[in-house]
Amino acid sequence: MTVSLSQRIIIFSLSCCILFTVLVVSVVWSSYLLELAYSRDNYAQQLAKQTNTLKQLVATDNIYASRYDSVHWQSLQNKLNRLLMFPPKLTPRQQTLQNSIYSQNENVKRLFNQITNNKLKNASLVIKNHLKAKLMTQLEATSSDSMQLSEIAKTDIYSTIKNEAIFIITVSAASVFLLVFGSLRLTKIVRKSLGEVKLAFEENHSGHFQKIQLSHHSQEFDSIVNAFNDMNDKLSETTVSLEVMKKVVEERTHVLEQLSNTDPLTKVANRRALFERASMEFSRAIRGKKNLSLLLLDCDFFKDINDEFGHLVGDELLIHICKVCAHEIRDIDFLARYGGEEFIIVLPNCDIDGGIETATRIQHSLAEHSISIEGKQASVTLSIGVSMLTEKHKDLEQLINDADKAMYKAKENGRNRIEVLSPSNLH
Amino acid sequence: MPLEKHSVSIAVSKTPLSAPFYVAQAINAFDDTCVKVEFDEVLGGQVAFAKVLSGEADFGTTSDSVIAFQSLTKKSFVTHTMFVQSDNDVKLLSRPSAQISSATDLKGKRVGVTKGTASEYFLSMLLALEGLTTEDVNLHHYQPDQLVDGYINNEIDAIVPWEPFAFQSIQLLEKEVKVHDTKSLNSLSFHLISQAADRVQVEKAKCIIQGLNTAIDYIAAKPRLAKKIIVEKLQLSDDFIEWVWPDYIFKLSLNQSLLLSLKAKSTWLVATQMSQFNGAPKLEKFIDTRALLQVQPGAVNIP
Repeated sequence: MTVSLSQRIIIFSLSCCILFTVLVVSVVWSSYLLELAYSRDNYAQQLAKQTNTLKQLVATDNIYASRYDSVHWQSLQNKLNRLLMFPPKLTPRQQTLQNSIYSQNENVKRLFNQITNNKLKNASLVIKNHLKAKLMTQLEATSSDSMQLSEIAKTDIYSTIKNEAIFIITVSAASVFLLVFGSLRLTKIVRKSLGEVKLAFEENHSGHFQKIQLSHHSQEFDSIVNAFNDMNDKLSETTVSLEVMKKVVEERTHVLEQLSNTDPLTKVANRRALFERASMEFSRAIRGKKNLSLLLLDCDFFKDINDEFGHLVGDELLIHICKVCAHEIRDIDFLARYGGEEFIIVLPNCDIDGGIETATRIQHSLAEHSISIEGKQASVTLSIGVSMLTEKHKDLEQLINDADKAMYKAKENGRNRIEVLSPSNLH
Repeated sequence: MPLEKHSVSIAVSKTPLSAPFYVAQAINAFDDTCVKVEFDEVLGGQVAFAKVLSGEADFGTTSDSVIAFQSLTKKSFVTHTMFVQSDNDVKLLSRPSAQISSATDLKGKRVGVTKGTASEYFLSMLLALEGLTTEDVNLHHYQPDQLVDGYINNEIDAIVPWEPFAFQSIQLLEKEVKVHDTKSLNSLSFHLISQAADRVQVEKAKCIIQGLNTAIDYIAAKPRLAKKIIVEKLQLSDDFIEWVWPDYIFKLSLNQSLLLSLKAKSTWLVATQMSQFNGAPKLEKFIDTRALLQVQPGAVNIP
């Protein structure tokens, strides 16, 4: 069974109240015991006092004298009797002494009456003295018993005070321990549970919908945690985490980028991507004073092929050209569709000879790898213009333009050729 | 650690006055003390005293009268504590036909007593009240349990027995005996005695007194159960216990009044020539407070 925090606080407060009540009751009880012990001591002291007065009287008076008047004795004896009739509540041992005192006093009275009634006319001095000694003995015994009664009462007072002191110290120590232990425990439970809930919120913030496992169970925190855990269950079912979302967006962006940079037919880079990449290579070459060459390739008689075999064949042809080109260029080179049947290859770190060599390799490869059109092997040729970055080129367009001019020159000079503009014709 | 137990034998006078011993034994009050007690039950404190002096018993229970008698003989013994007192233990019983109404009437009569005990002391006092001595009566000596036989055999006109013999005689003789009201004329106390004690003896006495203390508290708290123990132990009738119990006061004590009482009794014995010894003994040497002081210091007020 889980105990609630408020129940804990109630139990804690109740325990403190009980301890406090016990303390108060014990103080009241001890006061009662002390009062009783004091009344017993007082009683015993009075008995002793009365008995001693009687002793003194027997010792000083001649009780055998014929004119002896026992009025004084009787009044003292009556006082003692009244005292003995109403003793305070006594313990069994004290009651034994009380009985002893009572019985001895009865003996004293009988003896005294025996002595005073007929003055022991026939008795010798020896028996008179003996009886007087006996009277003194009885009184002495009463006095001793009274003193012992008082002694017991004093011991009771001492032990009551001592026991109460020990009890108060023990209960107080227990109360302090309970207070400290209880408050520390409560604080620990609240602090630890709050910490665990806070951690769970932080985890949620980063997209980890974890369940809270409380180290200390309490109804209040358990209900919060249950509500939180239910909420997290639902959230984890319906919510995509930020990281997953980022990954999805990145993937989609990548696909979109690819789509926007790729020619849908040939799957090589499109004109937009060409300019982006070529501009970057242009800037890098200028900055690094590196070589940069461009090939502009145009398919010979492409319009005729289109007209004769249809656009689908034309498309197939363009794809075939791209495959051959892609196969022959380096990893750092960049092939893109410039428009229609025109392609540009950007050749970083490549001089004009390198460009011509690449162009040549492409032409050879294209010649070797014919394409099958309607069951017949057909070969296709390219007119290629080569340009290389020089100090005269102010921008990328000029470099492309030079390659374009060189390509037209190749067309004019009979197609399936590689042409380079003479330096005078360069920008 | 288990307590090292001393084995002690106690010559216990077979009377309800020894109740604290019987109760202590019945409630195992000696178990937590340093003594393993063995009782040697005897008839009368005088026999118990003899057994202690002869070394047959380590301790004994005896009356203050015996102590007063024996103090005059200068024997070496001590009382360690008084544990009970009664002011009506010894009684005067007489034959109605002898027409004894007061001590005066005892003159010339045959009276049975137990020599050297409370019985003899009490008779001497009764007589003295009327100016008589033991020489004025025809004194016959009997063992305490044989007093009633002497009475039945008509050897004597009056007897001075103590309990339970007084009660037994009254039960047996019924109307053939008259009980005189002598309450408070004779107070009797019973004591734990031993030979003059060394340190070990005091240690043993302390342990016996601890047991007695427990028993006396028990008697005070549960008188009905205590009486039942005594009835069963001494094979007494309930009537008898109810008869004597109100006269008994069980308490541990060694106080000034004991000294006074012993002194009065021994002086009396010398004065009435009941004892062949003369001269008042120094009674303090017969009282050893060391053991009781360790158990109940409040009960001791002898310097």
